[in-house]
Parts: sequence; C-alpha cells; structure tokens
Amino acid sequence: MSIVDKFGLVNENNYIVLFFPATRSALVFRVVSRVNKGFEVFDYGPLPITTNMTLSLYDGGTVAPPANGVLPARSYTTSDITFPAISGTPLSNVRDTTDMWYLAEEDSDRLFHVKMYIYPPVIRAEVRIPTGVSQAKFQKERVTLGIDTVMGFSRGMLEFVRLPGIRYGFRFGNDTNLNLYTFVRFVFSEYIVEVPKEPTLIYDLLAKRAPSYWLTMPVTYLDPAIQDAFRRVYGLSEPYWGFRLYGTAAGDKDKAIKEYQEVLKMLRS
Amino acid sequence: MVRWLFTVYGSATISTANSSGDFTLTIPDAYGGPYNYIRIPKGFKAKIWAKRLSGTANFRLIVRFIPDVVNAPSTTVDVDSEYLASPGTLELEKRRPIVIVAKTGNEAIKFSYDNTGTGTIAFAADIELTDEEE
Repeated sequence: MSIVDKFGLVNENNYIVLFFPATRSALVFRVVSRVNKGFEVFDYGPLPITTNMTLSLYDGGTVAPPANGVLPARSYTTSDITFPAISGTPLSNVRDTTDMWYLAEEDSDRLFHVKMYIYPPVIRAEVRIPTGVSQAKFQKERVTLGIDTVMGFSRGMLEFVRLPGIRYGFRFGNDTNLNLYTFVRFVFSEYIVEVPKEPTLIYDLLAKRAPSYWLTMPVTYLDPAIQDAFRRVYGLSEPYWGFRLYGTAAGDKDKAIKEYQEVLKMLRS
Repeated sequence: MVRWLFTVYGSATISTANSSGDFTLTIPDAYGGPYNYIRIPKGFKAKIWAKRLSGTANFRLIVRFIPDVVNAPSTTVDVDSEYLASPGTLELEKRRPIVIVAKTGNEAIKFSYDNTGTGTIAFAADIELTDEEE
C-alpha cells in the first residue's frame, strides 16, 4: 500500500519525516490516525486580503486592494497574512480565529499537513516560519529572498506541515498587470501522530532504508521562536533539535543510534 | 509547473469604415479593467490556444507582441491575424498555439483591429500562462 493517498497525504500507520535544513535534523512521526479522512478538501475562498491593507508595488510605492480578495497588479503583501476562521461558520470555534491552522503547544500529538493551492496559479507565494522571518536564503544565508525579490518563492502552491506552538505567516505577490481575483483551496489532513521509540527504526527512516514521506521544511534559519516551541512542545534543546542525519558509512549507524537514544530520552511522549 | 488558462474578451463599435485600434480587454479573473494588454511574468510563456471573432464584415483581429511594455509600450510586433470576411462568427482553435516567451518580464501582448468595417465587433481568446520548460 502506498505511503500517501491520492492527495499526497500520508496514510495511517506510515511515517512522516520533517527535515529542517537549519539544523540538519529531522522530526520523525508515525501517523496513527487521520481525523478528516474523506473530507480533505477545503475551498477556503479568496485570499484574506482586505481593502484596508497597504500592499507594496514591485515598481515602487504602495497600493490598497480595490476589493476584498483582490491582489492588485504588480503588488505584493508586505506584512505576513494568516488565514482567519471564516466567520459565521463552525470554524469560529478554532483556537485562534485569526489563524485557523494554529496548533497550540498542548496539541503536541497533532500535525496539520497542508497543501495550499492558490488561484490564479501565477501568484507568487511564500511561507515564513515563524511569522515575519524569511526562510528563503541563498549562498550561506548571505542573501535573503522572497516574493518581493527575483527568487525565493513558489507559484500557485505551497506545501507545509503546521507544527504546534509556532506561528506561520504567508506572503503573496502578483507580477502581472492584472488585479487578480484570488482563491485558495486547502487539501489537508489533521494527523494524530506519535514519535517512534526505536532508534534503529529512526535511523532506517532517515537513511531512507525504511519508507517514509519526507518533507523538507522551509526552515533554513532556526529562529528563537522555533527553538522555544521545540522546547515547550517536544522537550528538545541544544544541541539536539531533532534527529540529526548520519550517513551510511561504517560506524555511522552506531553513532546515530547512540545519539537518537539521547534524543528520545529528551522527547516528551 | 504552473498553468493558468483564462479567457479575455474585447469588443468595439466601429462608426467609421476602415478603422484601426486596440481592444480594451475584460478578463473574468481580473478585477476592474478594462486592460490594454497582458504582461507576461518573466520566464513564462503566453500561449494563445483559441480565438473567436464575431461582428461585422471585414474585421481583422491582430495579435501584437510588445517586447518592452515598460520602456517602449508603443513598439509592437504583429504575430498573428485572423480575418472575418463576412458578418457572423469565426471560431479558431489551434492544435499548436501562438507562443510568446517573456525573457525579461517586460513582454506583453495586446489585441488590435485593423481596416474594419462599421458595426460592432468582438473577440474572445483563450490564453494560457505557463512556466513549463518545453
């Protein structure tokens, strides 16, 4: 049976590896259950852009959106956007109505695996973890990039896993000359997860000797807010912000397993 | 790979025979307008897959490429034309589209009419913006 379903979401009793380039470490989870099996698609509606916002222009200056949900021509969101709960729906009971995907620290057994499809797909998109911190870097972090520069963004789709206790922000850009009506579809799963307890299995997953869904998180800089969340949610701390990658040379496995045992002792179950 | 397929529409009422001009464009995916041209993001291709013409006789639709809409918006290159000889409609669907590549991000396309008889003319075109390699 495949690790993922037709949406690219991890099936139950499979593993998901979240690799963090900043620490060269990974968090490893087993998907115990999926809360929203059968209703993975959520048509959110227009991007949460409102007429009272001030957006920057690629050609200089600023502009106000002419209507809610419209990304003006040649503009980009200067500040980060979150996705508020749609008012008047049951979503108004989420933890944080300004950010419907927010997971609190006590939600450590949960992950949101989200694929965000943005229409029109020419729209530039960027996720910033935590909010306000660009993770698009170049050449040993010498250069910071993003939707407001020449690269460091994707178009039309973002995939991310929402971790508890961390705020995520999003920016969007439109380099066409059209004021674009926007639309967002989320394809997501709320996973109930647990960390595997066997260091050998973790090594095999990270060495890609055992199958898993591997997602490289857009975290090239470990902001203190992420460190703080890792401490509070998972009990991790310096120097172990997860399970570090080891090679497959002689002795690597023994070193890795010894280290992973230490990390497992730190981890909150 | 990004692919965005959308429709543009333009119409004009011609009161003087043999008129020429540019269509202003309305686009369902775009607020407001009308728009005079469509600018293509850098690295993207604009593919024009289909055109539909309707209206009076002697309606010539011209697709014009603007190499640098920022610095020289009036400099254009004609890349395609279709001709409606008699009143009615003409539907053209291409197995091979007209392709315009944006190398700097300043490229744009616009739609014009030329040497047209009097009456109301209209066109619609299906355009794809894509960053595919081929």
